[in-house]
Formats: sequence, structure tokens, C-alpha cells
Amino acid sequence: MSWFNRFSNLFRREIVDKELDEELKFHLDARTRDNLNAGMNAEAAQHDARRRFGNPTLAKERAHETNIVMWIETTGRDLRYALRSLRKSPGFTMVAMLTLALGFGANIAVFTVVNGVLFRPLPFPEPERLMMISYQSKEGGPGLFDRDYLEYQRHVQAFEQIATFHEDSATLTGAGEAVRLPTADVTSSFFPVLEVNPAMGRAFLPAEEKQGSNRVVLLSDKIWRNRFGADANILGKAITLDGVTYSVVGVMPADFAFPHEAALWLPLEVGGDPGNFTTREVVGRLKPQPSQQQALAELEALAKHLPPLPVANREDMVAEVLPMKDLVVGKIRKSLLIFMGAVAFVLLIACANVANLLLMRGTSRQREIAVRNALGASRGRVIRQLLTESTLLSFGGVLAGVLLALLGVPALLALAPAAGVPRIDEIHIDGLVLGFALLLGVFTGILFGLAPALQATGNRVRTFLAVSGPTLTARRAKLRSILVVFEIALALVLLTGAGLMLKSFMRMRAVDPGFRTENILTMTVDLPDASYPTAKAIQAFDSSILTKLSNLPGVAAAGAVNFMPLQPVLIRGDFNLDGGRKWPRDYNVAKLDVSPDYFRVMGIRFLKGSRFTDQDNSSAPGVVIISQSVARTLWPGEDPIGKRITTEDDPKSTDWLTIVGIVDDVRQRLTGQPLPAVYQPYQQVTRPFFLSHMSFVVRTAEKPRSVAAGLREVLHEVDRNQPVSITTLTDLADASTAQTWFQARLISTFSILALFLAAIGIYGVLAYAVTERTREIGIRMALGAKKSHITRMLLKRTLVLVLAGVALGGCGALVLTRVLGKFLFEVKPNDPATFLSVAVILAATGILAGLLPAQRASRVDPVVALRSE
Amino acid sequence: MRTHTNDRLKGTLDLLVLKTLASQGRMHGYAITLRIEEISENVLRLEEGSLYPALHRMTQAGWLRSEWGVSESNRRARYYSISAAGRKQLAEETQEWTQLTSAVARVLSLA
Repeated sequence: MSWFNRFSNLFRREIVDKELDEELKFHLDARTRDNLNAGMNAEAAQHDARRRFGNPTLAKERAHETNIVMWIETTGRDLRYALRSLRKSPGFTMVAMLTLALGFGANIAVFTVVNGVLFRPLPFPEPERLMMISYQSKEGGPGLFDRDYLEYQRHVQAFEQIATFHEDSATLTGAGEAVRLPTADVTSSFFPVLEVNPAMGRAFLPAEEKQGSNRVVLLSDKIWRNRFGADANILGKAITLDGVTYSVVGVMPADFAFPHEAALWLPLEVGGDPGNFTTREVVGRLKPQPSQQQALAELEALAKHLPPLPVANREDMVAEVLPMKDLVVGKIRKSLLIFMGAVAFVLLIACANVANLLLMRGTSRQREIAVRNALGASRGRVIRQLLTESTLLSFGGVLAGVLLALLGVPALLALAPAAGVPRIDEIHIDGLVLGFALLLGVFTGILFGLAPALQATGNRVRTFLAVSGPTLTARRAKLRSILVVFEIALALVLLTGAGLMLKSFMRMRAVDPGFRTENILTMTVDLPDASYPTAKAIQAFDSSILTKLSNLPGVAAAGAVNFMPLQPVLIRGDFNLDGGRKWPRDYNVAKLDVSPDYFRVMGIRFLKGSRFTDQDNSSAPGVVIISQSVARTLWPGEDPIGKRITTEDDPKSTDWLTIVGIVDDVRQRLTGQPLPAVYQPYQQVTRPFFLSHMSFVVRTAEKPRSVAAGLREVLHEVDRNQPVSITTLTDLADASTAQTWFQARLISTFSILALFLAAIGIYGVLAYAVTERTREIGIRMALGAKKSHITRMLLKRTLVLVLAGVALGGCGALVLTRVLGKFLFEVKPNDPATFLSVAVILAATGILAGLLPAQRASRVDPVVALRSE
Repeated sequence: MRTHTNDRLKGTLDLLVLKTLASQGRMHGYAITLRIEEISENVLRLEEGSLYPALHRMTQAGWLRSEWGVSESNRRARYYSISAAGRKQLAEETQEWTQLTSAVARVLSLA
């Protein structure tokens, strides 16, 4: 029969049915006739024909099964039956669906994020040909030294073009209030490599890379709309960045924001001068033919011919070609995968719970299944029916799960630290997510449905006849117990992960950073060279701000520092020592420039010597304060006060800086080590480079936010063209632990969900066991067992289950929590205290869940129990 | 004959049907049953109902053709005949069967 025939049967079902009936009837009649001819009486002839034929309904069903139409038909029938059967037990259906909805909801929500961040191709044409090129030592991030970039650019064959860029920021003035914007300096090959063209205007010309040529800029769509009112005649107009005018040559498309959230793009010149040791990220577009491996082989070959570098050992460097997506998602990939694993655990626990429910239901449906068997349904047929039912249940769960995920995804993203999730705009529920959800539905439907279906159908009519076969009950109880142990183990692994993350977080927050964070408001400025070309100009700006800040109502004290703790920027380097001493190799100290009151405002402990004063200005002799680890390292066992250091290689007598005091070390990052630092009065700094980035810190009497408006006004009074960037130190501290807090909270949420589901699982199994054993309990009590004895008996069973689960989960956690290693702070992945407390929490929850049924058992009335059979 | 014998026959039912139709031409289901019983001297007795799923399945697979005709007793009956694909299938299955049985026979005689 052709496919056409099979499908046309769809519209001829009744004919097929009738013809099959006729065919079978012909057979029976022919046999009956032959029997009659052989001399049987009419009744015997018919009976023999039927006996020889076997089960006609079965024959018909089987013949039908070969027909695709009938297959669809049967599935339809199974579905209708399944729906009816689920509707008949709304309690079971509700609990199962809710359990599944929680599991699916969590999975779909996390998958939606994973899909948007990791799976979706980058929004560029043929993104699979975009590669990141690197030749760096292993510890360094991917990138190239500028000089290597130039070599590669000249010789590389596997790529159509390569481009380099780096992220920066600039202050935009003259277009509304002054604002600090993320910018990207890019080579003219940058846009051709990405194959992205401006929506308006043009990209950069190679000639525009050269410094000193006309200054040009490309705007993001957002800036063009928000700051320039979507001016259609923007091309060729001048805008002011850091006090310098640039001419707009183009506006990028609305969805383009690379690297990161760049708002402006400026041309970048890659200098080939020998003193340039800048490394930058490099991307290239592979030619259509070469593979990633070929490109790598070529880069490795080229790397051998690169001239030696004074700042790095070529031997330690490795050539790499990585998909460009790694550049965007590299950091978050691992934590997303961990979240995926965590929610998969939650789903497995949910599945185990539903499987348990189905097992219990299977017991009560024995009669129904036995009847179907007796009527000739094969085991496979009944299994198919039961699996249809569990898959239907699963799809119900998926549907509810998708709804939960619709709420869950925004909640998840709201939990995430600011700017912690790249490509956040691309995160939404799409076809792939729905496909994933459906696949998950089918898979889990079979996963949790199969064991109960096999069990329910494993025993034929005989079992049904022996109504409560003790072996069968025992076997089911065993499977249920195994499922519960498995649930507890999974929940324990999750809880351990959560415990470790929480402990890490608490450790982070317990760190003494060496300064106080409470009641400190900070304001950071980046003064452009154009308006503040000299150190004198910047110092005038700073001192006028400081004076005004100290006079603000609500401000107790004000200070300034060029690189504030808890911020990513910092300059580190070395000094020359007086008296022929050598500065230790590879020893870098933070070079900080501060106002005299800085230490007092920040609460940095002053250990020895004297503080800076307002007299330490450019006309006074140079002084420094060092942190105590610098004192220990450079002058062990000596008093460093009065010793001299300098930044100059050939110091004049005025270049020497005398150490006047020692302060405590301060951590730049909460999770970092205390940082050796050398502090200089900002009034004595001669290079504007060290001063252009400056943070003002004020200690407030009240809530720090209440004086924010005052700070803003002060800044405007002094220089209206500086963008306002005000935050509290507490907020900065929170931000620096936000990633860990996010992970801890998310994994905790999942593990609480897991704990909850596992508790329900334990409760369900014991409650059912009590029901099942009502008679036994009745007999025991009738024979004189005490209530406490019964309770103890059941609690013992709970305890066995819980302990088995905890032991199994503990082993699992030992193996699995290692993936958290990189995210943990001062906590080992196998931290015994965490393991122990989690085990106790889980055991307590388990016993609590078992207590209820145990108590119910002790209230069994023996008379009623014995009568119930 | 007991049901389980029938089960054991299941795999070879296709072979028997194909062979019967190849040598006898057009037949209806009942005639096929009789023919198999007759040739095998009643050793191979089918649960007769199980023949029909097999016939339908082989028809779907294209090994058999089916059409309605009139029986010797003047009733409408569905007649089956073997197709070219069915003959090819028969050749393959015959070969496999021969290999299998001769192998089993060797084992039984030697082991």
C-alpha cells in the first residue's frame, strides 16, 4: 500500500474497519462450514472455529496497528482515555502537575537564559566565522601585543581581515547634562570584520586611524536618539568628548552594541613603536574555506617568527584561535552551566516524586489493568496507554512550567548583578526554548512513567486474583524507597552547593577591608586633558571641590583619592630606593595620591609617624606614607620613617620623597589580598596622568544618600561640564560580592525547592506505607504493641531512608561540588562544617516529614483497622 | 496446540505466508491457513486470528498485494498475492532460515 493510500485511509477509517470485519468474518464462517461438512453439530462447529481463531478483537487491533491511521486513532483514543482517567483523580493530577510545573518552570527559565546568552548566534552575519585571536601567556586573558597584531595583520592568510579594539570611556558635553559614556576605540577593519555597517553615514576610513587626522566618531542609535533627538542631519556635526570636538560620520544600527554596551566608537591607531607593550583583544573573520584548526596552525607557525619581547617570555605564550562568542560569554558560561545542573536536579526530584505517585496509583489501578489484560491487551499495549497518560501529565506540567518561566525569567534577571549577564536583550522564550520544553516533557513523561508502567503491568491476571500479594507490595515499596533515597541524595547535593556558596558569601562580607564602608558617599570624576592639561589645573579643581564639600551641611569630613578601593582601576608599579638599595623584582605597589584627610574619612588605621597636612604642597619637600606590608617588605626589622624613595630613575634632590608615616594595608577588592600601597599628597603630584581620575569621599552624619544632591551641586558649581557619578561605598561593596550573592541565592532557591519536594516525597511514601499497613498495625496494636512502639517503627524506617539518602548524597556532593571551586572564597569545596550542617538540616526535615504519618499510624484504632479488610 | 507454540512461530509466520503465496498464487486468508496446516501435516497450527495482522503488515510493507474477489462459496473475500518485493524478501528469509536451521542442526548433532 502506498503512502498515499495510508493517508487516504485517514478519510476511510470506517471502510477499513468494515472491510477488516468482513475479512475476519469470512474466515470464521469458512471454518464453521468446513466443520459442519466434517460432521460437527452447529454449536460445536462455531465454537471450534472461534477457538482456533483466537481473540478476534485482538486480531483486529493488531491488523489495525499496522495502519498509520489506526496508530493515530489509537493514540487519540489513549489520550481521551488518559484525560478521563486523570480527571477522575483530581487530587493526584493536581499534586503531580504542580510538582512537575515547579521542576519544568525552573528548567525552562534557566534554559531561556542559557539559550539567549550561550546558544543564540552573535548578531552578526555568519558569526561562526568570527574568531578571537590570542598569543598570550596562559594566565593572561586572550589578546595580542600591538606589535604582534601588526605582524599578524601583515602575514595572516586564513582570515579575511583582523581587527583590534579596546574599551574606554569618555565624557560627552554639550548635549544635555554632561555624561560619562562607555566607548570603544576600534581599528578601521573592525566594522568590516563584523560585517556591520552604520545605519546612517559610514564607518571609519583607514586614514582616520592616524592620530592627528580629523577626529571622527560613530554614535550608537541610543545616544543618537536620547542625546541628539534623532537628528536626521547629524552627519558632519561636531560633538564634544572630553573637551575635544569630533565630527559624527555615522550612526550604528539600533541592535548593535559591541564591545559590551559601547555608546560611541572612535578610531584606534595601533602604534608599532618599540615602547608599546599594550595588549588588546583581537577578532578576525575567517575566510570561507579555512577551519579554526587551519587558522590556528597558521598562527602557531607565524608565532615562531615573531621577534622577542622584552616584557614577556615567548616560551610561555600560547597561540589560540577561539570562537568570538567566548569573548562575550566566557565568564558567565560556567555559572550558567552550574545553574542548569542545579535545576536538572530539581526536575529529577520532581520526577521521582511523580513516579512515586504513579506507583501508588498503579497499586489502586491493578484491577483496571488486570481487566484490560484479560480482555487481550498485550503488556506493550497497556504500557503504551500508561505512558500516554504520564506524557500527558508531563505536558500539563510543561504548559504550567512555561507560564511559571514567563514570570521566572524576569525574576531571575532581576536577581542577577547589574551588567552581570551579557546579551540580556536577547533573553526571551523563543522557538528553541519551547522545543526544549516539549522535548523535556516527552523525555520526563517517559522517565517517570516507565518504571511505574512496567511495574503495574509486570504481573498478569494471577496477581490480581491474589488480591494483596505480599511479595508484590514489598517489591513496590522497595522501588518507592529507592526513589526517595535518590531524591534525598539529590537534594543533599544541591543543599551542599548552596551551603558552600552562602558560606563563601558570608566569608566575603566578614572580610575586614581595612576601611569603613558605612556612611561614606563617593563622587568620581575623569577630568579631560583638554580642559585640565596640567597637574596644577587639576589640583585647583580638586582643592576647590574639597573645600566646598567640607562646608556642606551633613558632611563630617571630605577627602580625595585617585584610585578608590572597590573600583576596578588602579595603577601599580615600583619606586627607586635611596642608599643603593634595590627594589625587589616583580614587587608592585599601588601608587595612590590622596588628600590629607583621606585616611580619616575612610577610617584607614594610622599606625606610625605623622599624617599629611595641607602644607604638603608643591613648594614643600616631597613626602609619602606607606602601607605596613611595604614597610615589612622593604625595610624588615628597620624603621622606615625618614627613608627616601623616588619615582625618577635619575633623581634630582627635589625628586626624593621622604617616608613620614605608616598606615594599615587596604584591600582593593573584598576578595583580594591586602594591597601594598604608597600614598603621596595629591598636591605634590606633577604628572596630570595620575590625577585625572579622582574620587572624592565624604563621611556623612546621616544616611549618605541625603547629601548626594549637595555633592552634585558642588560639582556643577566648580565645573558644569563634568558628569555626575555618585555612589556609596556600601553599594560598591555590595556590587563586588553581587556575583557570589546571586549564585548563592539562586542555588539556595533551587535547593529549597529540592528540599521541599524531597520532604513531600518522604511524607508521601510513609503516608502510603501507613495506609498499606493499616491492617498490620491494627494487628500489632491488638496484640499489645504500644503507640510509641508503632511510631518508633515507622520513624526507624524514615531514618533508614534519610540516612541512606544522606550517605549517597554526601558522596555525590563530594564529587560534584568541585565544579564550584572557582566560585568559592575561603571555603573548600569539601568544607566539613557545611557538609555536616547540610546533612543535619536534611535529616531533620526528613524526620519531620515522616513524623506526621508516623503519628497517624499510632492513632490507628485496631478494631477499625481489622474490620477494614 | 498451545498458544506459546504460536509465539514461537511468530518470526517464521511471514516466511510461511510468503512461501505459500509464491507457490500457490492468489489466496484468501482462510485458504492460507488450511494450506499451511496441510503441508506441515498439522504440526504448524496457527492461532488463526494472528494471521491477519501479519497479512496486513506485509501488505503495508509492499510484499503482498490484496484485492477483493469472490470465493468458491460465492462470498466476497480478500485475496492476497505475492509482489516482486515479496519474492525478494522470501529469498532473503529462506536463506537466513536455512543458515539458522543448519547451524542449529550442527550444534545439536555435535554438542
